[in-house]
Amino acid sequence: MTDPFELLGVERRFSLDRAALEQRHRDLSRTLHPDRYVQSPPGERRMALERAVAVNEAFRALRDPLTRAEALLSAHGLAVGDADRPSQSLLMEVMELRESLDDARRSPEKVASLLDQVRARSGSEEALIASVFDDQPAPGPDALGRARDALVRLKYFRRFEEEADAALDS
Amino acid sequence: MAYSEKVIEHAENPRNVGTLDKEDPNVGTGLVGAPACGDVMRLQIKVSDAGVIEDAKFKTFGCGSAIASSSLATEWLKGRTLDEASEIRNTDIVKELNLPPVKIHCSVLAEDAIKSAIEDFRKKQSAKRGA
Repeated sequence: MTDPFELLGVERRFSLDRAALEQRHRDLSRTLHPDRYVQSPPGERRMALERAVAVNEAFRALRDPLTRAEALLSAHGLAVGDADRPSQSLLMEVMELRESLDDARRSPEKVASLLDQVRARSGSEEALIASVFDDQPAPGPDALGRARDALVRLKYFRRFEEEADAALDS
Repeated sequence: MAYSEKVIEHAENPRNVGTLDKEDPNVGTGLVGAPACGDVMRLQIKVSDAGVIEDAKFKTFGCGSAIASSSLATEWLKGRTLDEASEIRNTDIVKELNLPPVKIHCSVLAEDAIKSAIEDFRKKQSAKRGA
């Protein structure tokens, strides 16, 4: 995917103005709406449609802090892939959390309390990522490495949150 | 995505789910994970004094293919020597479970888990001998 920040024309940083992002998405979508291309040659119509799809994708990527962090890191050539191995301490923490969640499944209060705990952890990881991308114009390799580790943790916590949400819904 | 019958069978009836005592000097524990999908897999082996794996347990939080890969791995591990165990390749798991290309990393994870469980056991043993 092309850089979603560039595509939407918003500043490349982690903390962003949600309302401004939504406004930008609406404006672009209106400009690219198929109704405006009814009289245009097919090639132009198709290009507008493709661009509209890309704009939607970029909007979805930036709306979510996790995919936004991924986009920022991949703009620096860093991606988290299948071959990456998380630290033992993170894996131990996640294993423990997932086992606690399994044990707590019948008690919505316990699940909610675990969920709160993990959401707070996600919040600190997001703050760490924000400090890397927002406080300095060009983060160095060490800072990027820290942001990448934080993203890995965030991914695991997100997965936990999804499982906990599902447990609360059932 | 369509899972193969064997994956479904293992995912619905996983073999050897559970925990062995991590502190037992005859137990080796491997804990691995794939951050891209947020999976975490623990695989444990209990090795007899003759160097044969007499028990294997796993616990995996992940997709059906990850569960099936680790379930199959524990089945294969039992009765093998450590050297035989380290010969298990992810490609064997892929073949047995008919894993599609997008799920190959699940079998890689299982192979990594086997290797780190063996490594953990050997580390414990050499620490014991050194003491």
